[in-house]
Amino acid sequence: MTVRTGEAIAARAWPHSRGWSRRTRRQFITGLLFISLWIIGFFAFTLYPMVASLYYSFTEYHIKRAPEWIGLINYVNLFRDPLFWKSLSNTAYMVVIGVPLSLLVSFVCALLLNIKIRGQSIYRVIYYLPSIVPTVASTLLWLWILNPNSGLLNMLLGEIGIRGPNWTRDPAWSKPALILLGLWGVGNTIVIYLSGLQDVPVSLMEAAELDGANWWQRLWAVTIPMVSPITLFNLIIGVIATFQYFAQAYVLSAGVSPVGSGLGAPLNSTLFYSVYLYQQGFVYLKMGYASAQAWILFIIIMICTLLLLRSSERWTYYEGG
Amino acid sequence: MAQIALPRSVTRPPWPRWLRRGIGALAAHLTIIAIGLFFFVPFLWMLSTALKSDQDVFRVPPTWLPHDNLQVTVNGQRVPMYEVNIEGQTRRLALLSIAEGYGTFVDPANPTETIQVRMKFVRPILVPGPRWQNFPDAMNRATRPGLGVNFWTYIKNSLIIAVFAIIGTLVSCAPAAYGFARIRWPGRDIVFLIVLSTMMLPFQVTMIPLYIVFTDKLKWGNTFLPLIVPTFFGNGFDIFLLRQFFRTIPEELCDAARVDGASEFRIFWSIALPLSVPVLATITVFTFLWAWNDFQGPLLYLTDPRKFTMALGLQDFQGQHSVAWNLLMAAAAVFTIPIIVLFFFAQRTFIQGVKLTGLKG
Repeated sequence: MTVRTGEAIAARAWPHSRGWSRRTRRQFITGLLFISLWIIGFFAFTLYPMVASLYYSFTEYHIKRAPEWIGLINYVNLFRDPLFWKSLSNTAYMVVIGVPLSLLVSFVCALLLNIKIRGQSIYRVIYYLPSIVPTVASTLLWLWILNPNSGLLNMLLGEIGIRGPNWTRDPAWSKPALILLGLWGVGNTIVIYLSGLQDVPVSLMEAAELDGANWWQRLWAVTIPMVSPITLFNLIIGVIATFQYFAQAYVLSAGVSPVGSGLGAPLNSTLFYSVYLYQQGFVYLKMGYASAQAWILFIIIMICTLLLLRSSERWTYYEGG
Repeated sequence: MAQIALPRSVTRPPWPRWLRRGIGALAAHLTIIAIGLFFFVPFLWMLSTALKSDQDVFRVPPTWLPHDNLQVTVNGQRVPMYEVNIEGQTRRLALLSIAEGYGTFVDPANPTETIQVRMKFVRPILVPGPRWQNFPDAMNRATRPGLGVNFWTYIKNSLIIAVFAIIGTLVSCAPAAYGFARIRWPGRDIVFLIVLSTMMLPFQVTMIPLYIVFTDKLKWGNTFLPLIVPTFFGNGFDIFLLRQFFRTIPEELCDAARVDGASEFRIFWSIALPLSVPVLATITVFTFLWAWNDFQGPLLYLTDPRKFTMALGLQDFQGQHSVAWNLLMAAAAVFTIPIIVLFFFAQRTFIQGVKLTGLKG
């Protein structure tokens, strides 16, 4: 009896104690067996590539030749590379304008879809459907809608007397065009907001109503603070996804520029961070340079996430503190 | 805290309650429909374009209704009608065949005499109506002449990858999730934290070393292996989703089995898995979506058009040709249809799954 108690204490005190009971040891082994595939995957497809990528970022590595250690030169060159800054500023444009806009649109749509009216479920399906359309298909569809001559949007604009821009072929309009395409697929964000809206306590709304708060006041004082944690979540997910924005820009470049004239068309206006990284790594095969870009991306994403989390303490509201 | 509310009827217009409600509901419907057009009309435009004839696609200003060539039957054969200019006179003739820029035309009213005209001087006659032929045309069209590649090839490749990805994800994530949810072992919570943190690592960081290993060291370039093999080793998102579900299975159920001498694997296989069919279905749907949709993975590893997936094939199609938008939209519709069908069968799963990925963990 006393031995067993001792073992139990030892097991609880792990990892400081060496002696595990037979039961603990057996469970440890069983547990590891169950997650064994993940463990192999973690070492092979996450940890090893991370370390290797960090190493490559300090080398000059053209895929056919062995990597050659050059220290910080890749990083120094990146900071001197005007296209690196261009790609970063293009990406910042999408983060600063595109992400908040898509949150605003999703929130407004969620508010509308939360109204109890007939046909609500049909409306919800219609708003949600575009977000499941495969990216390449939706990008091609929008390239066609935004076609300056025979596209739908400029036709509709023409009918109200506006001459539509050249959209994807004009460097000033290519990013707004991509933002528009992004807004079309906000269904997932709408659904997340919708679930948040449904968790706003009815009693709180009724109390506000009894106090004489009108619709706007209730929105500002109750709804928006109550969904602020969801806004934070959507904001972080949106920022992370935008830093890795790739397929849409790639398909757009291929669609508006003659074959072979390169990524980022027109005039590098859609050369986003991940697109430039892909170009350096897989078109020019500069694996070391691209690895350095990948690590800077990682650091940028971590800083953005931390800053958002920090700042959120001031603007998010959690029930019960 | 609250002041006594003023009687509200004093400040409100003296309209009857039902009228106010009715106007409110009408305004809500109108707003939702107006914004809904933005989400819905592009689908109609895709469908409309997919059903247009070649000449109709680039008509300026564009039209909503698809048009197709007017067809007549000549000698038991369906042939298109053209407006043909002959010596300043416009005649409506049927096209029998084309060779070297010259068309062989015939007057449907008098099909014995044929006329040769350069195709430059003729114009097809269009009538409103869908051109369904675009769908088989788009699917069967050789996207890379000489290679025997068309959209059926791409669909087949996409399906192969998706099926193996689904098997791999289920085989690897379900046991791992059980190991985190139901077995108490030292260090479990720390390891689970690592699982969660892998979700935050951007794809770009691991992309280059993995590419080098798969293509340079293992010689897996231009095969489906780099896209399939990693799915057999688990991923944070699905492990998390399954673990949340396994934790809701009553502990007593497993304990009863343990008392009866069942092994952990037996409990996992005969109790946990059968109870988790809904969440396994969710993961199947998500994995299918992810594999079907994936662009960057196939773009990195697949170089031979015969191995291309639907996503690569579609974007390749528009890069290679002067774009036949009607056929491209038809192909895009085919690419989208499996997902829409899946959505209607698994609607609840879909929305539920999206909710799960939200905050409620």
